[in-house]
Amino acid sequence: MTNKFYKRLFLLPGLLLLIAIIIFPLLFTIRVSMANWNVSQSGLDWAGGANWARMFHDGPFWSSLLRLFYFSFVTTTLQYVLGFAAALFAWKGIASRRFFRVLWLIPLMTTPSVMAIVWRSIFREDIGAANGLLTKIGVDPIAWSTSIFPATVTITVAEVWQWTPFMFLILLAGLLSLPKEQFLSAEIDGASTWRTFWSITFPLMAPISIGAIIIRLIEASKIFDSIFNLTSAGPGSATETPAYYLYTRGLREFQISYGATMGLMYLILAILTLTILGQIFARLSKPRGI
Amino acid sequence: MKKIFKFLFIFLWSAFVLAPISWALVTSFKPPAAVNNGATFIPWLQFKPTLDGWKDITGVSGYANLFPPLFNSAIVTFFATLISLTFGCMAAYGLSRFSYGWKHYKNPDIIFFFISQRIMPPAVLAVPFFILLKSLNLLDTKQGLVLVLTSGLMPIVVWLLVDFFNQLPKEIDEMAMLEGCNPFEAFVRTILPLSKPGLTVAGMFSVIFGWNDLFFALVLTFTNVQTLPVAVVALNGTVTPFWTLSASAIFSILPLIGLAFVVERFLSKGGFAGAVR
Amino acid sequence: MNLNLRDVSVEGDGEVILSNISYDFEPGKIYILIGRTTSGKTSLMRTISGLIEPTDGEIYLGDVRLDEVPIWKRGIAMVYQQFINYPHRTVLGNVEFPLLRAGVSKADAKAQALAMLEKVGLTEFKDRKPSQLSGGQQQRVAIARALVRNTQVILLDEPLMNLDYKLREQLREEFRVLFKGTRDSVTIYATTEPTEALFLGDELLVMHEGRIIQHGKPNEVFEYPSTIDVAQIVNDPPMSIVDGEIKDGSVSIGKSLNFALPSHIKSQSAGKYKFGIRASEVILGGTGSNSEQGEVSLSEVSGSETLLYVKLNIGEVVLQLEGIHDYHIGQKVTISLDPKRVFLFNMDGSLCAAPGN
Repeated sequence: MTNKFYKRLFLLPGLLLLIAIIIFPLLFTIRVSMANWNVSQSGLDWAGGANWARMFHDGPFWSSLLRLFYFSFVTTTLQYVLGFAAALFAWKGIASRRFFRVLWLIPLMTTPSVMAIVWRSIFREDIGAANGLLTKIGVDPIAWSTSIFPATVTITVAEVWQWTPFMFLILLAGLLSLPKEQFLSAEIDGASTWRTFWSITFPLMAPISIGAIIIRLIEASKIFDSIFNLTSAGPGSATETPAYYLYTRGLREFQISYGATMGLMYLILAILTLTILGQIFARLSKPRGI
Repeated sequence: MKKIFKFLFIFLWSAFVLAPISWALVTSFKPPAAVNNGATFIPWLQFKPTLDGWKDITGVSGYANLFPPLFNSAIVTFFATLISLTFGCMAAYGLSRFSYGWKHYKNPDIIFFFISQRIMPPAVLAVPFFILLKSLNLLDTKQGLVLVLTSGLMPIVVWLLVDFFNQLPKEIDEMAMLEGCNPFEAFVRTILPLSKPGLTVAGMFSVIFGWNDLFFALVLTFTNVQTLPVAVVALNGTVTPFWTLSASAIFSILPLIGLAFVVERFLSKGGFAGAVR
Repeated sequence: MNLNLRDVSVEGDGEVILSNISYDFEPGKIYILIGRTTSGKTSLMRTISGLIEPTDGEIYLGDVRLDEVPIWKRGIAMVYQQFINYPHRTVLGNVEFPLLRAGVSKADAKAQALAMLEKVGLTEFKDRKPSQLSGGQQQRVAIARALVRNTQVILLDEPLMNLDYKLREQLREEFRVLFKGTRDSVTIYATTEPTEALFLGDELLVMHEGRIIQHGKPNEVFEYPSTIDVAQIVNDPPMSIVDGEIKDGSVSIGKSLNFALPSHIKSQSAGKYKFGIRASEVILGGTGSNSEQGEVSLSEVSGSETLLYVKLNIGEVVLQLEGIHDYHIGQKVTISLDPKRVFLFNMDGSLCAAPGN
């Protein structure tokens, strides 16, 4: 029927364009992960599962994955909590003025790689703003780039600064579209602010929250720009994430095949994690009772 | 108590948001002494502001000129967003109104396929994209970069707009069809005019992610099509002094900050209501 | 042109939505589809308009096989129970739109749209957006949009459903004028309200579980409902049904209630039956053997009437009382049945005898 034609007309151009762009890189990555290829070589050889075997014994890769759990989950949680708080304040009351809303959105608009450079200048141990301020209030300067914990903190700060506004924007938009009736009745019942939040606002915001969290987790797990420009994965490999590790192996040391192998592994793990998370979220957000 | 906490949060959060930007702004006007001899914060009081940093990046001193990269970024972002928005909103509309299926893959799986394009770290895709663009003779061209960026931006557009279209009553487009529009005309004549908020949000995210992309631009372009982030990172890689670097940072984030005003305006008018669900 | 449905069936997700609907709709008449909320009224309309594809059967408009024509070329107008208009167009723009799509020139479209707006009384609002109108006005815009094209088929899916009681009565009056003016088209009007059906309909089609279970002149169907289902659907509040028996020339319902056979069921043979009584024909009070005492289980005011649900030994019976009365739950009341006004159904639910008019 003609309906079928239109049905396809909507989806297929976009889907096919996407597939056309992505199909070669994906197939190539799969193939190259089973080779031992470097750029100077003209053809692809066959190395079977050698790269895969190597990966399973590659300690740094797995520890970078573990580190990623910190970077993605901790930063996303912080962003969600702070973003929700900011959204609540900007929803009603004093901070709902234009000035605050615009101000709190600004970090989202800035370029992460560029801001990482700014953060690096702030966390410079000798002439940076952070230590400058600390000395002014009588605290000893901190070795931001040479000890593990402070280096992790700098990345966390940069990520929270950059992406909390993402949560803020999505959650604020969600709050503004909530039905007003339920809040009115809660007000009439004399429910406390805190109870209103937990029993009405939070559950209503669950679907939006889940979408925002999933997208943030996907993006946060690729964390690269800030590490590249801020700590270069240092000190040592203390802030090295998979994205950075496979960049080093694949593009800096030209172990392209091995980089591809790790990339695929990462893809598989990410899809698995997201599927499981999606299931958990779906179960959690199911309306209780009824 | 509650009030104190509230004001404290608002104050501290605003200060935190402003901190790095104001630091970069102040630093961009510093003379060498104000940078190299420890942190200084207040212009005129602690140092005499100079324009040297800004001269360095605007081609005045001959050190670097960020205007061509600005132009490149604008062109590439514009076209990548345009393409993503056009095809993305059609796909999203289709996914919201029709049910597709191929074997046991249904609409949610197709939506996940779109989103999953954002999972792969760019470092993995850089090499195959490099080879792809090279064979298409698109390396170091705007077209090539637009193509690659589109694959990352369209998923965002689809993700946002499927939910948006789901919220528009389907009776409106049914009505249009009953009154003589074929499904495509119904989409263009009734759904699109009603979707300005959704399209704005999706377009905005697309612009943000496109403008801010570093990796693909870094690997897939060299001298012809240097984008702003690449240019700034390149400055960072050389012995560029902090004041110049700070000026370049402010220079490259300034254009999009204007977007924050646009977004806020939509938010206040309720234009966003339902744009993200 | 006649709209002819032949064995139309719709299935979805393994469920039967419409089953073997065959009917010939003639132009110039108003057909009322009456049925409960999920009886398939909306599905039938959506199938005729093309929004649902039938799994089986054929639909003809004159000689044209309608179910093979795409929606946008069918030329069918439809009014939804939600007030659906184009939010981004003005009232005038809304009414012009179908005309412009049909190729009417700009000037003509405007003139015809304005004339239509005049008819529905919205001339002064022509430059407003639909969202700036009240619910009733929004629905008038939707109706104006549907009527302005003069289509062969007009479908109205519970158009008054979401309006308040007063507005409903007012629009119902206007509808009679508006639709009678469109003599050359088939008008199908879905509703759950028997009053609307009796007031507007030339023909009444009773739908239940995806089938047309009875059709005919509204009065006939109302007086002679072929089954209990029909009787329940065409009476609001639904007809009360109680079990009873015909024995030795009299009717006994439950243990205590009995009366002599009234004339319209005299010829029925002895045995067990189901008896139906309209809420408006149950009598409050009485002392005879045709009366029984019970307890009020629910009392509600609807418009200018009071509905009383009374629990008796023989089952629950609904009474419709004129005016607004105050009864409390548990209050003892006596009701009696008017033997001349009982409907008689056999145990399968088919009509055996009706009191007639």
